[in-house]
Amino acid sequence: MRGRNRLPVTPKKKNPRASLVTGQAWRLPFSGANDMWLVLCSTSDPAGLWAYQGLRQLGVAPLELVTAESLADGTRWEHRLDDSGIHLKITLPDGRMFCSSRIRGALNRLLGPSPEALRRGVPSDREYAQAELFAFYLSWLNGLPGEVINRPTPQGLSGRWFPLSEWVYRASRAGLPTPAYRLNGRDAPDQGYQSLVPDGAVTLSLITLRGEVFGGLVPEGIKRACGRLAEEAGADILGVELYSNGNYEWTFASATATPDLSRGGMPLLQHLAQILTQGAQS
Amino acid sequence: MILLCGIPSETPLRMVTSRVEEVGAPYVMLNQRRFAECEIWFELNHGEITGELRIADDVYKLREFTAVYPRMMDDRFLPELSDEPPDSPLRSYCRSFHDTLIRWMEITPALVVNRCAPMASNSSKPYQAQLIREHGFLIPETLITNDPELVRDFRAKHGRIIYKSISAVRSIVQVLGDEDDERLECIRWCPTQFQAFVDGTNLRVHTIGGEAFATAVRSEATDYRYATSQAGEPAALREVVLSDELKEQCLQLSKSLGLEFAGIDLKVTPDDEVYCFEVNPSPAFSYYEGNAGQPISAGVARHLASGLAICDRAVRSQN
Repeated sequence: MRGRNRLPVTPKKKNPRASLVTGQAWRLPFSGANDMWLVLCSTSDPAGLWAYQGLRQLGVAPLELVTAESLADGTRWEHRLDDSGIHLKITLPDGRMFCSSRIRGALNRLLGPSPEALRRGVPSDREYAQAELFAFYLSWLNGLPGEVINRPTPQGLSGRWFPLSEWVYRASRAGLPTPAYRLNGRDAPDQGYQSLVPDGAVTLSLITLRGEVFGGLVPEGIKRACGRLAEEAGADILGVELYSNGNYEWTFASATATPDLSRGGMPLLQHLAQILTQGAQS
Repeated sequence: MILLCGIPSETPLRMVTSRVEEVGAPYVMLNQRRFAECEIWFELNHGEITGELRIADDVYKLREFTAVYPRMMDDRFLPELSDEPPDSPLRSYCRSFHDTLIRWMEITPALVVNRCAPMASNSSKPYQAQLIREHGFLIPETLITNDPELVRDFRAKHGRIIYKSISAVRSIVQVLGDEDDERLECIRWCPTQFQAFVDGTNLRVHTIGGEAFATAVRSEATDYRYATSQAGEPAALREVVLSDELKEQCLQLSKSLGLEFAGIDLKVTPDDEVYCFEVNPSPAFSYYEGNAGQPISAGVARHLASGLAICDRAVRSQN
């Protein structure tokens, strides 16, 4: 496992203090005075907050936590597009300022603008304002430089959100065993969103991150299929839920672009830190 | 078999229907307003999609459909629902029927002009502009901010700037004038999009099935769709021929966005620079066909009749 999570090495000459710290956690030998990484999530996202703490402990620095709530009120926005590129400057009410020229990567788990952002709009404008804010977030998140995991898509700010029918279709194409899925226009509106896990089945949540699979032991074929599913969905990070009827033959149940990262534990965090910082060094 | 979906009297759908009849391709019309007489189900099993669509007394196997042209209005606003309470069974069925239909369209191996997923890039104009920029088009210098001072500086720099919606919600493009200065304070609670005004000739390029139909639009209005109210006279439209290079650039742009059919809004400056403003994934082409006489609907019909997708995503889905 340690060999697989080998750490980047190049900055040693520039920063002689940077070295591996002995102990349980790996510490990344990289921090740049003019660079920063972001963790973007909601204050109600335990997995995002867990990843922030973990990445800090691994030495990803400076690392800033930017919550959906902190962006909602009193933030000064400056987002520019021109022939020279995409530029962003965010100034939070607490005085912190983030400029795209300094951002080297981000873990993005934003699901949408905080409802607080719409608080000051008159009711008749709220639907329009909601569409405008989502469109704005999609643009500035997409314009973030460096390694952004996951990049936003029009189907979801932190990665594609597909209806279950499409996940099942894609999982099957990726080579995962899938259950029969049926949808009828006469069904109750929530029918197509219900879990595919049969009563009494054992479930397993895996997380794929750029080709590596974390969270449980499954056959290599299942791992590779999960990787293909994430790749086809355009997601750097993807949570895949599988189920088994006790025979340990795993069947696809669902997928999400915002999985509970803590299920991947320290190995996942190390891989994440490696991706974020290696991108900064290239 | 081609499946046409929407309201048959809506002009673009009516025009495509006529052209499909002219080419002799078999088709079925799903009239959205008669959703209560329709049923749909589908099943996915080992990657195979089976299912049926019933329209009144006729039942069709979903695999019979080789092409789909969905030109549907938001089902929540269908006239048949206008007197229905929010929780009525009819309203609920309408939503459920459309949801099932759209979900099938997203995964069917049939040619779909266009699927929902690729259409979504247009839900954010500056996001789409970032994709457009990657394809070699110029994009207007853009500022999105909630700081009035930055807008004043932007205006001072460019002289003439416009403002418009960021999202797909339709807005009338307007020039920011002195009289708007006081209103700039309103942007503080919602970032707003401003762009440097680009002088030149408007071009709308419709791409479909490897063909490109270019229409030049002459108007003094900032937003030529509203030329009569903004400039006092309607815009003048005429067919133009694109250079091979620009035509190819447009076709590649549509394809890269996963759009079988697109309406690309360009502006050609007096220096022959080409700016791209946006790519409309559900173009109401009838305005251009009606005024410039280009056979766009025939192009749509030919493409539907071919059943052959040109976009990678659709091609992948067929494999």
